[in-house]
Amino acid sequence: MLRTVKPKNARSKRAQEAREPKEVEGPRTAIFVKGTHTGDVVNNAMKELMALKRPDAISFSKKNPIHPFEDASSLEFWSQKNDASLFVIGQSTKKRPNGLVFARMFDYKVLDMCEVGVEGFKGMSEFKGPKSTPGHAPALHFASDLFDTHPRFIHLKSLLLSFFSGTTVDSLHLPGLEHVISISLSPTPPSLTSSSDDDTQTLPKVHLRTYYIKTTPSGTRTPAVSLLPMGPHLDLALRRHVPPSSNAHLLTLAMRRPKLKKMDAEKGLGKRKKNVEVDEMGDVRGRIHLGKQDLAGLKGRRVKALRGGPESEDSGESGNEVESEEESPRQKKRSRGGD
Amino acid sequence: MDVSDILASSAAKQKLTTVEKEVPLQVDAGLLTVTDLNPVDKESYDENTEDYLLSTARDGVQTLIAALAALPTVPSPYGPLSQLPPATTELPRAKPLPKPKPPTKWEQFAKAKGIQKKRKDRKVWDEEKQEWINRWGRDAKNKEGEDMWLSEVKLGADVSHDPAQELRTARKVRVAKNERQRLRNIAHAQGSSQVSEREQRTREIDRTLATTRVSTASMGRFDKQLESEKKLRGVKRKFDSNERSVEEEKKNSLAIISKLESETNRARKEKSGGDDILNVRKAIRSASRGKGSAALSRDSSGKGRGKKGKR
Repeated sequence: MLRTVKPKNARSKRAQEAREPKEVEGPRTAIFVKGTHTGDVVNNAMKELMALKRPDAISFSKKNPIHPFEDASSLEFWSQKNDASLFVIGQSTKKRPNGLVFARMFDYKVLDMCEVGVEGFKGMSEFKGPKSTPGHAPALHFASDLFDTHPRFIHLKSLLLSFFSGTTVDSLHLPGLEHVISISLSPTPPSLTSSSDDDTQTLPKVHLRTYYIKTTPSGTRTPAVSLLPMGPHLDLALRRHVPPSSNAHLLTLAMRRPKLKKMDAEKGLGKRKKNVEVDEMGDVRGRIHLGKQDLAGLKGRRVKALRGGPESEDSGESGNEVESEEESPRQKKRSRGGD
Repeated sequence: MDVSDILASSAAKQKLTTVEKEVPLQVDAGLLTVTDLNPVDKESYDENTEDYLLSTARDGVQTLIAALAALPTVPSPYGPLSQLPPATTELPRAKPLPKPKPPTKWEQFAKAKGIQKKRKDRKVWDEEKQEWINRWGRDAKNKEGEDMWLSEVKLGADVSHDPAQELRTARKVRVAKNERQRLRNIAHAQGSSQVSEREQRTREIDRTLATTRVSTASMGRFDKQLESEKKLRGVKRKFDSNERSVEEEKKNSLAIISKLESETNRARKEKSGGDDILNVRKAIRSASRGKGSAALSRDSSGKGRGKKGKR
């Protein structure tokens, strides 16, 4: 554990505050570490992945004797030291050639890991054509039914989502969406079942492709899309993994969501929006339900011709009534007096 | 006029921008992610893998772009910004949720009174100088009058009376008070366990002193009092409020019952152990008629000697 010191000046205090947990988290920082031996393929793959991840990436230039599946203590140390919550560890051994380990941390502890073997690699330089601007958020595309059914691939999807687009963006300039990272699988072998979890031989291969998005106006509101290969292109095979469910207590803490503020709830976040929709023109349309209108209380225009008649009659009648009422007791009295 | 060409071209445009698949694609606009849950087509995959991957990716991106284009937008200097909805896919956090800060005393009060927080400007308008000056800091409004070269002194004022100095002290007192309150709020937020070492030591000494003062035979009643010694304060009895929630009452009753249970359990255990059937101390006392075990042993060892000594 790193010692925590009380900040002595405003700058270090700001730096410490920036590390404190936040309600809405920013992008995760990834550390790229080399193991004891990395081949050319792994080196290049890490370099290119880092180019995609920039600027939230830290590269360790030295080799480190680490074995994340046996001992994760150095990961925890680095995570705290650099305030990073993702790791990519490259290691090439005879038993597991060209291995990349993706590790995700929670609270500076390892939450889950997934090891992949790089079986095919093509760098950015091998493709001619436009490249995306560093720092732009990528679009992500996952293609296979296994991303919804097989635990290994559900895990992989979650891990890669955290890796490439962990943060939620609240607004986006559409032309700023410059590249897409597409993760697709090879055809599902018939022998594959979700229970054959440990047998990595039967699992389909993972193809990670990066394309530049070129949009052309189509005459409709939606532009037409064409893709140009940009690189890097990786063919991966799944190997060992540590599922997040193995650290159940960490996972429950990690999946906690902040309570919605009242304002957000009013805006309709967290709740289903009712009677509000966006039409084809991009306008927000709402449906309002009104009660039955009370026509009795309706005040129309008062015209002189309408005002005169019935009111004057009313006043005359009422005057008469008063008189008659006044008269009647007198008459009674008189009649009594007469008797 | 023949419009069939126009219709055909618009239909072609529509075709270009719409994607139709067996399983509709899932779009998570908040994360800019699209998931294609259609099973992989083995034939076209085997035929040309790269082309197949490119075409599925294009379909996915087209769907995503269509979904993004349909979102409401706000204008900005860079162009229209699509307002993205919150993400539907739940991803684990990187750090635990921040603990909510306990409200300060003022915040509590303001909440009870319904006082809204107003943001004060850093600058205030000065009528005399006809310009904006700092509210605090250099040449600030709160130092007004402290650097006045001339000020009125009331008749019969003290010789040492210095109006500028007085204003300055008043300001310093206000600042000190605010600082005290700030520290108190921090201390309150950290909890009472966070006291300084010195403070802890003082408390310990006080406690020891209080214990020794009542540790004489008369419980300190006939002790010589020192001059500056204060009267000992006892523990004030505290009573629970008569009006309590049903929940709390239930909890308290259950606590009592569980305590009773544990006591009976303990008694049963002691009995079953069998060691403490005889209260040895009490037995010795009764046997020795209150003289203790030493006397008892002396008596039992040499009865004659004991009698001998008695005259």
